[in-house]
Amino acid sequence: MKPLRILVHLLVFVLVLELTTRIDERLRFGTPLMSRVLSSEDLREFREGAVQGRPNARYQKWGLNELGLRGPSTTREPRPGVIRIVTVGASETFGMAEAEGREYPRQLEDSLNRAAERQSSTHRFEVLNASLPGMSIPSILLGLRGHIRSLSPDVVVVYPSPSFYVDREAPHPPTDVQPDDTLSLSRAFRPRVLPRIVDAAKSLLPAAALDRLRERDIQKSIEEYPPGWRFTSIPQDRLALYSQHLREMVGTVRSIGAEPILMTHGNAFMDGTRNEALARAWVRFYPRATANTLIAFDSVARAVTLQVAKDSGVVVVDVAADLARSGKGDHLYSDFAHFTELGAARVATDLRDSVRALVDRTTRERDVAGVVLQASGSRAPRATGGLQ
Amino acid sequence: MLFNSVVFLFAFLPVTYAVFWMLRSTQARYIWLAVTGYVFYAYWDARFCLLMLFSTLVSYFAGVALLRWDTDARRRKLCMVIPIVVDLSLLGFFKYTNFLLDTVADVSRAFGGDPPVRHLNVILPIGISFYTFHTISYIVDSYRRVIKPTRNFFEFAAYVSLFSQLVAGPIVRFRQIEADLENIGTTSRTQWIPIGIRFFVIGLVEKVIVADSLAAFVDPALASYHTLSTAATWLAMLGYSFQLYFDFSGYSTMAVGLGYLFGLRIPQNFNSPYKALDPSDFWKRWHISLSTVMRDYLYIPLGGNREGEAKTYRNLMITMLLGGLWHGASWNFVIWGGYHGVLLLTYRRFASSWDRLPAIVRQLAMFLFAVVGWVFFRATTMTMAMAMLGRMFVPVAGQLEPAAALALPLVLVAALWAMVGPNAFEMPLERQWKSRLALTASFAASLALILGSRPSPFLYFQF
Repeated sequence: MKPLRILVHLLVFVLVLELTTRIDERLRFGTPLMSRVLSSEDLREFREGAVQGRPNARYQKWGLNELGLRGPSTTREPRPGVIRIVTVGASETFGMAEAEGREYPRQLEDSLNRAAERQSSTHRFEVLNASLPGMSIPSILLGLRGHIRSLSPDVVVVYPSPSFYVDREAPHPPTDVQPDDTLSLSRAFRPRVLPRIVDAAKSLLPAAALDRLRERDIQKSIEEYPPGWRFTSIPQDRLALYSQHLREMVGTVRSIGAEPILMTHGNAFMDGTRNEALARAWVRFYPRATANTLIAFDSVARAVTLQVAKDSGVVVVDVAADLARSGKGDHLYSDFAHFTELGAARVATDLRDSVRALVDRTTRERDVAGVVLQASGSRAPRATGGLQ
Repeated sequence: MLFNSVVFLFAFLPVTYAVFWMLRSTQARYIWLAVTGYVFYAYWDARFCLLMLFSTLVSYFAGVALLRWDTDARRRKLCMVIPIVVDLSLLGFFKYTNFLLDTVADVSRAFGGDPPVRHLNVILPIGISFYTFHTISYIVDSYRRVIKPTRNFFEFAAYVSLFSQLVAGPIVRFRQIEADLENIGTTSRTQWIPIGIRFFVIGLVEKVIVADSLAAFVDPALASYHTLSTAATWLAMLGYSFQLYFDFSGYSTMAVGLGYLFGLRIPQNFNSPYKALDPSDFWKRWHISLSTVMRDYLYIPLGGNREGEAKTYRNLMITMLLGGLWHGASWNFVIWGGYHGVLLLTYRRFASSWDRLPAIVRQLAMFLFAVVGWVFFRATTMTMAMAMLGRMFVPVAGQLEPAAALALPLVLVAALWAMVGPNAFEMPLERQWKSRLALTASFAASLALILGSRPSPFLYFQF
């Protein structure tokens, strides 16, 4: 074959590969053909002083609605008679492995409304998923004081990720973001088939080779820092910071007139099984902690979460313990900490009972006291149902 | 391992191909094909390699014994019966045990009794229906002296475990590739590359672009079949009819292409079945390798059409009922087979009148008959089949799947290709660079879809 024809073949191959990828994403996910969103990180933007979801952004199977929330279209103002629950957290809550509509906030909404219908209850529920990958508590706090508050939630469900507290630096409010966070036009022309190729190449590697690559990444990260940089035991200052942030979270949720529900953070190791390769996959994201430290920190953080809830009189759902008790870690977690659809269903079920108990309790209190539930008193009275 | 998976396309196939052509001797190539067949199979479940090996060994030694006792009729018969009994016992145990137990349990319950034995936890080894038929056809043909059994174990093992046809056919008889296997050491690599690649890419397009795109609409629609309107049920079933055809035909066409890449000419398995003008024509075009195996090893031994009309009808019905049962251990498949048996009998009875109808009318009518039959094939229970038929034939309101707007043009394109357009064997083999460019583009489009999703299994894997 002549060189020119080889070149034409290559050109056609690459163009069709890219075009088909775009058409496929358009048909399957509704991604615009010229989308500028090229990664899950592009789903976030810095707006009104906080990190928020980029409205209507879509990356592969993950899509945000017009308010920048993961889930179906909704309005900023709650519908009359509907109890609005907002879930906040990081990638576990956002839902990485689950198919669209199967992440735990969506399953929670379905489960609550089905239960309400069965019991002929007048309550109807709407669950808004305001989580985003990589959201630590300080970032969530900014959101709570801003765009999440404007959603007028009745209940805020918090699924904190303690692992952020053994990261290179302690979690802090975002400071390194550009005020103008728009995505440039040139991004629309970048190849979208590349992530598919990278994923396919990874899938070809044997598990042992992938593990070696992760180990190498971890070592490279460690070498950038002086000896003693790694956490080989639980860093107490970080744990104290987690406790402090969590208490601040409870106070902030109450200050916007909502009831908080805390959840303990689960992971695939809590049932006692130990998969070294899986542990390394987790450490790769937090190379400052050894695998033992990372796992131990999550366990201790669970105890802190329970304590904070007890001290603050807040409903707590011990997801970590429940999932560990089931002994089905392989089925409930898609990796070290993210849920499978089955895991998400289990979390939703656990939460459903707590939410219903909270709603029943507050309804009873309202009936007895004849007063509107206003946890902190600072929230503007809502004209539209909810827990009030 | 699936032909439409990254690991097959970029690891298994290149390595298998490169090593195969690096090896020079016939024996080395037999061994390599046999080994890669087992690796291909082990990727699904290594345990069942032993089952395939056992079946291979039994038939191989029976073949050698047939050579040894060439003039001893009694022993020759034994050499045929033993491997057939072994193979059918394995197939029966793994595929039909639970079907039998469930049927006994249903009958017991119907008479108010308790089921004597509960459901057993038996895993159906993938492809067992296909490689069992490979070994049975080999031993029967050897017994009938149609072929001379091979003394070379690896030649036979390569034939049984040939990865291109191992798990979903076509059911290639030894006699069909015997000559190519004999010449495998001297075959030309470059001679078959263009045709092999062409068939493989066309099959990939059929599977990945057409069948899987249809599945995206058909599967969710049929999952909620009880909510569909009459129009939506028809649309879903039309979609399924084309999905099934392009899925299985795609697999078979890829198998043909892969065969060519290794110097083996695997026969055509689909010849545009939706162009069939009558039931008899349909079965000469759909899953040709199974139809001919059923004809040669069941229908004709039963007497075929040589013993009068009544026995011909009986033989046809037995063949079609067992053909249905071969597809799956469920009464739905038996009914599907029976339905086609009735179509064949009816056609046989009224052929002279039917054949006078215009061709287009016969083609459309035969297609609709096939679509109705697919209801039994697709439904997981009899209740589902009856409910779907009810929705198809008694107008009922319901939802039209949200994806229906997208599905309709896709179904139309699929219909045009399947009912009017050429199949892979009818497309001219042009060596002009524009044709090659079209193949390059087709491969790129298929690859983009493969990279973007988990490979979907072929529908016929379940059989």
